[in-house]
Amino acid sequence: MSIGSLPPGATAPFNRRRRILREIFDRTVAGLAISGVLAMFGLLALIFLVLLDGAWMALVKVNWHFFTSSVWDPVKGHDHYGVLAFAYGTALTTFIALLLAVPVSIGTAVFIVRIAPRWLSGPVSFLVELLAAIPSVVYGLWGAFIMSPWLQNYPETWLYNALHNIHLIKLGYYPGSTPKYPLPEYFPANLVHGGPSGTDYLAGGLILAIMILPIITAITRDVLLQFPDSIEHGAYALGATWWQTTWLAINYCRVGIFGAAMLGMARAIGETMAIIMVIGNTDRISSSLFAGGQTLTGVFVNEFLEADRPIYFSAMMYVALTLLVSALVTTLAARFMINRIGTRHASEE
Amino acid sequence: MPSDLADGTANLSPTPSGPNEFVQPVAFKAMGRSGLWRRIVNVSAVVVCTASAAAALSVLFLIFGYMLFEGVRYLNLDFLTHLPLDTPMGMRNSIVGTLILVGLASVAGVPIGMLCGIYLVEYARKGWSSDIVRIVLDVLAGTPTVLLGVLVYTVMVVHHHGKQLTGFMGTFLDIVQHIQAWVGIPRHYSGWAGGVALAFIMVPIVARASEEMLRLVPRAHREASAALGASKAETLVRVVLPTAMSGIVTGILLAVARVAGETAPLFFTSFGNTAMTYNPSDQMDSLPERIYFYSQSSVPSQVHQSWAAALVLVSLITIFSAVMRIVTRKRRIRTH
Repeated sequence: MSIGSLPPGATAPFNRRRRILREIFDRTVAGLAISGVLAMFGLLALIFLVLLDGAWMALVKVNWHFFTSSVWDPVKGHDHYGVLAFAYGTALTTFIALLLAVPVSIGTAVFIVRIAPRWLSGPVSFLVELLAAIPSVVYGLWGAFIMSPWLQNYPETWLYNALHNIHLIKLGYYPGSTPKYPLPEYFPANLVHGGPSGTDYLAGGLILAIMILPIITAITRDVLLQFPDSIEHGAYALGATWWQTTWLAINYCRVGIFGAAMLGMARAIGETMAIIMVIGNTDRISSSLFAGGQTLTGVFVNEFLEADRPIYFSAMMYVALTLLVSALVTTLAARFMINRIGTRHASEE
Repeated sequence: MPSDLADGTANLSPTPSGPNEFVQPVAFKAMGRSGLWRRIVNVSAVVVCTASAAAALSVLFLIFGYMLFEGVRYLNLDFLTHLPLDTPMGMRNSIVGTLILVGLASVAGVPIGMLCGIYLVEYARKGWSSDIVRIVLDVLAGTPTVLLGVLVYTVMVVHHHGKQLTGFMGTFLDIVQHIQAWVGIPRHYSGWAGGVALAFIMVPIVARASEEMLRLVPRAHREASAALGASKAETLVRVVLPTAMSGIVTGILLAVARVAGETAPLFFTSFGNTAMTYNPSDQMDSLPERIYFYSQSSVPSQVHQSWAAALVLVSLITIFSAVMRIVTRKRRIRTH
């Protein structure tokens, strides 16, 4: 029996008209709640439909060549659409961001949960979450005018001096160039080819790392808090040091931490404004971290409103569809992992 | 050191093959070589973790510091009262535009988000149906916000005249066009479109926050209310929502802060405007868009303006959050 319904035969202490009004009120609230949820279902379906509908022409005409060519030539008559360079930009910047942000986030979360005294952990946690409240365009502004010049002058210069003679592999031609569009450009497997520029993959990765840091930290902190006291006390009783116990906690929560990293990854894939302000916006692919690049979101924002011909517009929608699917897959995987930690904890109670 | 720890035979789990089998005593074995080594690893781990927290905080202070430093330098009264094309430049239209857009988004997004949260906690049966709702909200929250801009652009903004509207999407767009004409929302870049796009971004955030906060309301409250003869909806409106309100407001603030800084979806929906307008049927300017446009400029005074705008935007978000928190703190009902 649900709360609020009267048992059969009970007489309510109010008159009939009021009871009808109550019933109407009850049903209206329930109906509103359900319609709110249905609206969200409709919204998700609508996004898919609109993007599929828009991308249909490109799906038919360009098909999977979309992902194997790095030639983006939307000029009338040429109409060659390949997003390999942009997908590479998204993948590389996301990878750099995760590489930088995940260790720092885990360290910060461990500091908040297991090192900081009570008076300090609250403010630190709040301040790190404050990073998430900064608009991405402000990150972009800071990145373009403060971080990029610093990056160019100091870390990139040092890295260049250290690494510019080390060629990992010598490849032939630009990968992804087709026989129709041979690009006479080498793809030297040298991480710093081209010299320090400040607006490059590294800058994009760094700004993304800062942006996904708060979300990974917050979830890792929540997950670490679920480490059962019994195991912790047991470990200490067996003579484990603080770090060994912490390592146990990290190990115990590794699925959740992996999920947090995935959520950060989803965030990084969808990030737009900050990254287009620092990555250099060039439609090329390069093994060098110091080369300008472009991401899927970047090409989308830069060119969507310029897509004046049906096939060009359709290709832009194809980019959007790619973004949607990749964000969807990573978000779902992340949620699945984060929830697993919760259910495991619950099953032990 | 106990011998079972040193040779790795310690089994911490109460049952050998229970849910605790992840506890690998091998971890002790690898690290517990000698007392000194253990101590060195321990201390350096503490140092590394503290250093990473310090790094995260220093990034925050660097960003806020530069924003304050540069922003205060270029912020003046003209910035707040003039328009972009006036001789001392200003951003009055962008500030007003941001307020209007976020207000429109909140009016539409907050109720829908709260309804989703209410459905999940109060009405959904535990099982696959509530799981699916949660998944849909998660997916919407994880969708790149540009795509919501594109959705609104296709549905509400772009003209389809001269194009053959066929199939399901064609019929749908045709219906939306008619509704729009009937309501009086013009079919071009407009504040309405921007507000709708931002509302779509708000809904999942508000829904998640409402769900979490409504779950925190003790069951005893609901039972007590029902025992006094209140119906389900009455319990919800009079007891559960007021109790959870201060928490829900925090979630709403989070959503507002997030939405106030959104830039990419507004390129396709409200587009931007250098003239002053209070009418959402016109193209609308907003602070994030103006920051982006000016930051790409080669004119130094425009770059300065974008720093001042960044400061104003972040201060607006902060002041709004602080005020709302103070207002709701007074009305908070104790949960125990």
